[in-house]
Amino acid sequence: MARFAQKLAALSLVTLAALTNTPGTWAQAAGLDAGRDQLAPVANSEWNYARAAHLLERAGFGGTPEQIEALAAMTPAAAVRSLVYYQYTDNRHLAPFVHSGIHDPGLEPFPPSRPATTELAKATGEALGIKVKPEGNRPLQPVVNKFFYWLRASVLETDRVAYWWAERMVNTNAPLQEKMALFWHGHFAVNESKVRDYRKLLNELTLFHEMGTGSFRDLMVAVAQDPAMLSFLDAGVNVKGAANENFAREIMELFTMGVGNYSEKDIREAARAFTGWNYVDVNFVVNEQEHDDGVKEFLGRSGNFDGVQIIDIIMEQDATAEHIAGKLYRFFVREDLNPALQGQLAAILRDADYEIAPLLEAIFLSQDFYSNASMGTQIKSPVQLAVSTYRKLGLTQVPGVPDFNQATGALGQSLFRLPTVAGWASGRSWITPGLLLERGNFARDVLFPDINFIPPDRFNGSAEIRSVADRIRQGMDITSATQPSVVGAGQVMAESNMLADRDEDFNTRYGSFRGWQMAIERVIPIPRQTAQMNLSAMVMDEHLGNTTQVVDYFIARFMSVAPDLETRAKLIAFLDEDLGTSAIDIAQSYMEDSLRLLLHLVMSQPEYQLS
Amino acid sequence: MKTDPLLQQTLKRRALLRAGFGLGLGALGMVPSGFARAAQAAAAQAKADGKVLVILELSGGNDGLNTVVPYGDDAYYRNRPNIGLAKDKLRLIDDHFGFNPGMAGFERLYKDGKMAIVHGCGYDNPSYSHFTSMAYWHTASPNSGDEYGWVGKLADKMAPDAPANFLVNIADRQSLAVRSQYHVPIVFDEPERFMREAFYEEKAALESVAQVGDIENPSRRFLLDIARSANDASSLVREAWENYRSPVDYGITGLDLPKVVALLEADMPTSLYYVAYRNNAFDTHVFQNDLHQRLLTYTSDAVSAFMLDLERIGRADDVVLMIFSEFGRRVPENVSLGTDHGAANVMFVVGKPVKGGHYGEIPSLIHLTEGDNLQYTTDFRRVYQTMMQGWLSQPDTDGILNGSFQGFDMFA
Repeated sequence: MARFAQKLAALSLVTLAALTNTPGTWAQAAGLDAGRDQLAPVANSEWNYARAAHLLERAGFGGTPEQIEALAAMTPAAAVRSLVYYQYTDNRHLAPFVHSGIHDPGLEPFPPSRPATTELAKATGEALGIKVKPEGNRPLQPVVNKFFYWLRASVLETDRVAYWWAERMVNTNAPLQEKMALFWHGHFAVNESKVRDYRKLLNELTLFHEMGTGSFRDLMVAVAQDPAMLSFLDAGVNVKGAANENFAREIMELFTMGVGNYSEKDIREAARAFTGWNYVDVNFVVNEQEHDDGVKEFLGRSGNFDGVQIIDIIMEQDATAEHIAGKLYRFFVREDLNPALQGQLAAILRDADYEIAPLLEAIFLSQDFYSNASMGTQIKSPVQLAVSTYRKLGLTQVPGVPDFNQATGALGQSLFRLPTVAGWASGRSWITPGLLLERGNFARDVLFPDINFIPPDRFNGSAEIRSVADRIRQGMDITSATQPSVVGAGQVMAESNMLADRDEDFNTRYGSFRGWQMAIERVIPIPRQTAQMNLSAMVMDEHLGNTTQVVDYFIARFMSVAPDLETRAKLIAFLDEDLGTSAIDIAQSYMEDSLRLLLHLVMSQPEYQLS
Repeated sequence: MKTDPLLQQTLKRRALLRAGFGLGLGALGMVPSGFARAAQAAAAQAKADGKVLVILELSGGNDGLNTVVPYGDDAYYRNRPNIGLAKDKLRLIDDHFGFNPGMAGFERLYKDGKMAIVHGCGYDNPSYSHFTSMAYWHTASPNSGDEYGWVGKLADKMAPDAPANFLVNIADRQSLAVRSQYHVPIVFDEPERFMREAFYEEKAALESVAQVGDIENPSRRFLLDIARSANDASSLVREAWENYRSPVDYGITGLDLPKVVALLEADMPTSLYYVAYRNNAFDTHVFQNDLHQRLLTYTSDAVSAFMLDLERIGRADDVVLMIFSEFGRRVPENVSLGTDHGAANVMFVVGKPVKGGHYGEIPSLIHLTEGDNLQYTTDFRRVYQTMMQGWLSQPDTDGILNGSFQGFDMFA
């Protein structure tokens, strides 16, 4: 009891205020009222548990009370530096990604489509490292199998990379490194379905891990020469005499200056400078004969520019620093950015030669960051929601049930599958009525794992492929086994599977089935352990004596913004009734289920979405 | 929807009663009584401002040339020697065009003057990626991007104070098209599954969202609003769907249009609906004719049933349906008896208020662009503009369309 009282005193002012005061006054108690839009650093005397918790929420993914207390015990400057300059953090416990070993050199260069693959095989007698059979039925079948194998295997391996990344987010001692990687991943948007190579995506993620708080200029050059981005933006078609503007346009519009700071002519001229930039396998190359080395006029400058020089000119533009500083601020602090403050932030970025770390340090230390307008006002992205839920539970392993990628995908954020080149729309766009209910359902799936769960990395989601598999196992010939089965109401089978066996050279539907089979033979399965937690032990460790203390502890531990008093009363009433008592010592032996139900109710509150 | 014939009959009778028809009169197809007519007029009056726009996305890139077939142009058959549809199979609508044989519903709608066909819809530097081109259409930002969708921005413009349930997207995930700055689109898929999964014991604690006084934190305010709207909408939607009984046959797949009618019938205050033929269905690269005709039949059945259903509930004058796809397909057929990703395409606008006919310049089948595609003749945003200005009477839409576009004179 004594320990809890001590803890409660240390707990979030946000929470305390909401529990004890009338609604509407809590915010003043939490944040700095006058600090809004002020870049001046927060004073040591203003540093406390609530602000340390806020820092860890935003610069990372939140954490346990112990982790927050460690930050609260430092000065604000030291706490911020411990997060921003993470190069000195001990992270040796993080394991590197373990490749399943699905790639082989014969796959390169991977043709853009199945027809392109079979055309190549017909023309040359070989494709994807597989020779065409000299005679017999379906001489191209092994080539087609290999094509589908790689498509499926790369998808499954990308899901493993996403799991590995999620594991890092949950276990790292340098959470800002992961948060910045997530920022850049959203900024430099790509999609697996276009890139079709998990290795390129992993390499790009490595860039973000290694360069995330370094020079933005260097990162921009690295991304512009990164095979994942080159492939995503069709750099291969940007050649001398037929410049494709897509790449140059996205660099200016989305990655650096923002729309309205350049002309269409600037885009055309920049596109010429990027001609010949391409990739072979996972390496950047410049095809000199496709590069246009004539004079370009770009943003009022004239010269024989190449792509790097174009990026350097872009970096000289005020608009670039404004755009990047503004986007970082909106990601880490809040949506509405005071224009004067934006100018100050841009100046910090320019003065630091586009080094990101000093800007982050200034933001995280600023009074604005700890003002009412900033604290508890950010809506968590789905990845943030999942990772912070796991961190606050104290998990050290990302649960395999529910599936991390399925869960975050259902909420609108799939890693490595950005919806458009513009990245994810953030803030309120994360929430729809259906999705808010779905967020509560996610919490339930963590606390009460679905016993009907089917691992998506083993079970094929396509009824057609499963039906082909069944028929092959029954001993049917390939033609009969791959006849389309009856299409159910509202379902339409993939076009590539329709009557594809008209072509005697190969059977696409068989290839699709066989490709999946070959993929699951090689791709390492994702472990499917459920969330390991013991809420009873958590309650006992904290010496919580009654249901009111349990509810208050859960609210303080798991929520950045507490619910209203009426909701709190409902939660207490619920726990009383479910336990059949308000005394924890009586309920101790059987309270786990009730505590999980309580936590599900806490995580279903609208306020649980706030960071 | 139940299929028992007896029940169907009973429901039909009830539906007619609800629409203001006397039982016997309705069955004989006679005009409504004076009383019923007055009731209808009053209902119409109440809905005078209740104009509704429904958008149907045909995902995957519908082959417009085999949908509205230019049989009068030899170049069509030269480009498509194997998959070109013969004139005697088509549903001819004039001396140049005929609908795909599977599209009885579209033929009827066109001949009844309720369907506008807009030709040559596209944009500069067309993207042949489903993903990219769809995003262009969703955001009305070709060769660019936007955080918000054009339907979302339209909702923001029409109702900046963002009343509840103004914008509905029936989908398994929210479309970029409806992403809005101020509005909370109601997004659901199966009405019966639009619910919180909770244990029985938890219900009391979850059933209501507390009314809290002034809240300074705008995000918290927003979330409480959404939570209330989720609570409200999910029961409204489920109830509307439970109460919905229609004798109209939508065919194999209703494309979520029956759900739209259910919500209209339940008087949801929704002005904008967004539905889709999902999952890239129209991506017909291989041996396309049977498949494509089937897709078109499903679409045509669903759309014409929708119009009948709107008549049934007395809302046919209030609702217009716009149909689009992210691109058309290559003019020449490919070697697999299918078609590859193309560029310009037809769009459709359907509804009782529509002045039927052809709109837009018909693209040449001879002077193709590089890559054997149709040169677009109508920026697709002209059709968006027609919906916004012509149908919904919204001025100053340049910001939504990223430019200034002339709409068509399409409404009576």
